Amino acid sequence: MKLPWRNFPEQIRRLIVVWSFLIILPFFIRSLLIPADFGKYGHFRASAVEEAIAKEMKYAGHAICYDCHDEEVESKMVGVHKNVNCEVCHGPAAAHVEDDEIKPRAPRERDSCPLCHEYLSSRPTGFPQIISDSHEPMKACISCHDPHNPRGKEMAKECGGCHAEIASTKSLSKHVNIPCEKCHETPELHKLQPRLHLPGKPSKREFCGGCHDVEADSDIAIPRVELATHEEAYVCWQCHYPHLPEAE
Amino acid sequence: MEEIIQHLTPLLKEISGYIYPNEIELHWSLLVVIYPYLTGLVAGAFILASLVKVFNVEALRPVYRIALLTALAFMLVAPLSLLAHLGHPDRSFEIFLTPNVTSAMAMFGFVYLWYLMAVLFLEIWFDYRRDFIKWGQEGKGLKKWFYKFLSLFSKDVSPKALAFDDKAERVITILGIPSAFLLHGYVGFIFGSVKANPFWSSVLMPIVFLFSAIVSGIALVLLIYMIITPFRYKQIDEKCLDTLASFLFYAMIIDFSLEILDFIHRIYESEESIHILSQLVAGKLFFSLIIVQLIIGMIIPLATIAAVKAFNTPAELKRLLYFLSALLVQVGIFFTRWNVVIGGQLFSKSFRGLTAYKMTFLGIEGLLMSIGMLVLPFLILYVLFKLLPPWKDAPPAAEIPAEAT
Ligand code: HEC
Ligand code: HEC
Ligand code: HEC
Ligand code: HEC
Ligand code: HEC
Ligand code: HEC
Ligand code: HEC
Ligand code: HEC
Repeated sequence: MKLPWRNFPEQIRRLIVVWSFLIILPFFIRSLLIPADFGKYGHFRASAVEEAIAKEMKYAGHAICYDCHDEEVESKMVGVHKNVNCEVCHGPAAAHVEDDEIKPRAPRERDSCPLCHEYLSSRPTGFPQIISDSHEPMKACISCHDPHNPRGKEMAKECGGCHAEIASTKSLSKHVNIPCEKCHETPELHKLQPRLHLPGKPSKREFCGGCHDVEADSDIAIPRVELATHEEAYVCWQCHYPHLPEAE
Repeated sequence: MEEIIQHLTPLLKEISGYIYPNEIELHWSLLVVIYPYLTGLVAGAFILASLVKVFNVEALRPVYRIALLTALAFMLVAPLSLLAHLGHPDRSFEIFLTPNVTSAMAMFGFVYLWYLMAVLFLEIWFDYRRDFIKWGQEGKGLKKWFYKFLSLFSKDVSPKALAFDDKAERVITILGIPSAFLLHGYVGFIFGSVKANPFWSSVLMPIVFLFSAIVSGIALVLLIYMIITPFRYKQIDEKCLDTLASFLFYAMIIDFSLEILDFIHRIYESEESIHILSQLVAGKLFFSLIIVQLIIGMIIPLATIAAVKAFNTPAELKRLLYFLSALLVQVGIFFTRWNVVIGGQLFSKSFRGLTAYKMTFLGIEGLLMSIGMLVLPFLILYVLFKLLPPWKDAPPAAEIPAEAT
């Protein structure tokens, strides 16, 4: 049987040629491109399973770390982080186990711990949480907490346990890294009978001068003043609050 | 590891209320805002073109081809934003090879293909066929063969053949309207069918999407027409412009009513999600939804166009006001998409907490990429205008010689 081909308008004839090509071609390409094992088990390539198995392993698991890092493993085993896997913090370490020149990352920055410990109401009740903006914001977490065996509540709050406002003020100040005892000589008994055993307080300008005088033998990052001429009629803390010194 | 930590830790501080850990980060980013925005423009521009062919709105003839080419240019770019978002563009063709018939998103690939190949390409081909033949005869060298190839070496320019072209175009457009509805309705459907998300899950979603698409498409063609005509030293056809503005106005009225309807419906239904949604709208979305989408993008342009129509506005001022209104409408519709896509992910499925969206600048999901996606269609459109000048056959009435202006 012959199609009435000549009777179609010219443009339709041309389109039919192009379109049949465009429609048949994908079917042809499809038959070439679909892998033979597609659909054997389901809507996927059967060999994809083997490929996934053959993928390079990135994580080593925590058991193997014991071979070389028994100190960290042992301290973690007994602490609250015992169920936090090493590689959660250190990242995939399979490559490191093969070759210890490839060092895993040690997350020393402040932002790594809040991922689990920042206050979030949907965390389980009782899960130790902090608000990092007000929890010692100027210091790295690991300067107080051992990452492998952290202690929380039972950690002595030290001076801040009773002098909370001063402690939190200082934690935001330029003096954050100066321990209280550096300026207040504190008898051990003060923590038990505070009013009976009062700590000392600086009384002379020279005390501050010990770090801030131009002559002083201290860290070069510390701003200096000429002790003899800088507002010599007053003690320093009449102008600078020692727990939050400002110089503007 | 580091990137995740650097991304999530600051977000933790933005959270308010009770939110599940896997909701802190939004999974559909700015690129997913761009995608419905672009497809909306395609559908809108096409429906505008169909007014000429199917409904014989002669006043709009000067923008008929502009609308078609605009639809094509945006159509070509729209899926790129999805591909960039999903990653692995190299594998994307596989959804056509081994289609998953139960996936709405996978089947959408076919709707898209149908729309591009069977509707847009064909309609443009039939419309330009005579010009292709003409340009193929006039042109030289490469150009000659380029147009000859485009015309598929067709030669017949007899009145009978031209009449057939016209008929074919009409049939395609009639098929094209439901296709365009399907195209953008589908985008709305994908959101509207997410049962778990009360902000999206609504049967009105496809229709609201559709009408906002028509609004944005008309506004876009109006803008392009107004920008391009002075560059060609031609006079803007006042009648065409007035008609465009009228249709924009009607589409906006419908869009506006639908949105209000949706709003009233939600408030009346007062499902358990209403508290968190009102918190969302009064808080994090206040600026983008109430100020930008509603006031700047809808009420102000509506009032402006209404005022221009009601009072006898001088031509210069009228043009300026139309232009500004269309521009505001574009901004408004962009934020409509933003509010749906981003807004719908900002609240917790617990209905008791809100998270935040942190936009990145660089990177595949970043702002820069999105700006690229918005600029690219205009570059393509420029090339299309060069290759397929849409104005050659505009009725001479619309073309006042350059010297006269
Ligand atoms: C074959 C022995 C071996 C194994 C197994 C091993 N490591 Fe190590 N690891 C080393 C050596 C050696 C160093 C380097 C010590 C040094 O430089 O002081 C090291 C260093 C490290 C460091 C320190 C990186 C730094 O920046 O200071 C970390 C963290 C670490 N390993 C984690 C792990 C973890 C987690 C595992 C288990 C998945 C593991 N290692 C398993 C041998 C090993
Ligand atoms: C909660 C997160 C966390 C976990 C879990 C963790 N680490 Fe660490 N680890 C750290 C941090 C933070 C440091 C950096 C400590 C420092 O610089 O003082 C570190 C340091 C180390 C070091 C280098 C010690 C040094 O002094 O340079 C080794 C080795 C190490 N970890 C091994 C392990 C192994 C093995 C495990 C699993 C048994 C483990 N870590 C589990 C956070 C973690
Ligand atoms: C992967 C999640 C995770 C990360 C990361 C993590 N922790 Fe923990 N942390 C835990 C878990 C789990 C506990 C135990 C909670 C419990 O006892 O129910 C805990 C407990 C603690 C406690 C409370 C101890 C107590 O006795 O109350 C402190 C302090 C702590 N972690 C500090 C840190 C520090 C510092 C870091 C960063 C180096 C860190 N954590 C990183 C999961 C994490
Ligand atoms: C200056 C020392 C210091 C630094 C720095 C510090 N902490 Fe603490 N942290 C403490 C002390 C002291 C406590 C116990 C008293 C308390 O609850 O405030 C504590 C308690 C905690 C607890 C337990 C809270 C609870 O309610 O059980 C967690 C968790 C914790 N810290 C995490 C962190 C994280 C994470 C960082 C880093 C972002 C950090 N800490 C930095 C001193 C510190
Ligand atoms: C058990 C709670 C407690 C602890 C722990 C504690 N203090 Fe006090 N401290 C007090 C009380 C109570 C006073 C008396 C306040 C008053 O008399 O107005 C005081 C007074 C002081 C004064 C003021 C003395 C004066 O002459 O006015 C200083 C300085 C001081 N403490 C420093 C410290 C330092 C440094 C530490 C940490 C090593 C510390 N305290 C730990 C409770 C405490
Ligand atoms: C840089 C030195 C310095 C450091 C560090 C310091 N202080 Fe002081 N502190 C002073 C001086 C100076 C005064 C006396 C202020 C005055 O007499 O007006 C003072 C006064 C006080 C007082 C008496 C009440 C008051 O506010 O005047 C208390 C309590 C106190 N310090 C507690 C602390 C605690 C707790 C810490 C640690 C968290 C601390 N200080 C760290 C210098 C310091
Ligand atoms: C142990 C050394 C030490 C002592 C003692 C000391 N300071 Fe400081 N001071 C510092 C350091 C460290 C800084 C911060 C330097 C920096 O990081 O800019 C500082 C900063 C300051 C600043 C400048 C703050 C600013 O905003 O730039 C002032 C003011 C100041 N201290 C006043 C005092 C006064 C008053 C005293 C006596 C009560 C005192 N300091 C005792 C170490 C010390
Ligand atoms: C009468 C108020 C007053 C007294 C008392 C005073 N200062 Fe100051 N100090 C200031 C002022 C105001 C500034 C900031 C303007 C300036 O730099 O001179 C300042 C600045 C400083 C700075 C910052 C200098 C820099 O370069 O940033 C330091 C450190 C300082 N003072 C330490 C001290 C010390 C230590 C004492 C006690 C020996 C003291 N001040 C006494 C008022 C005072």
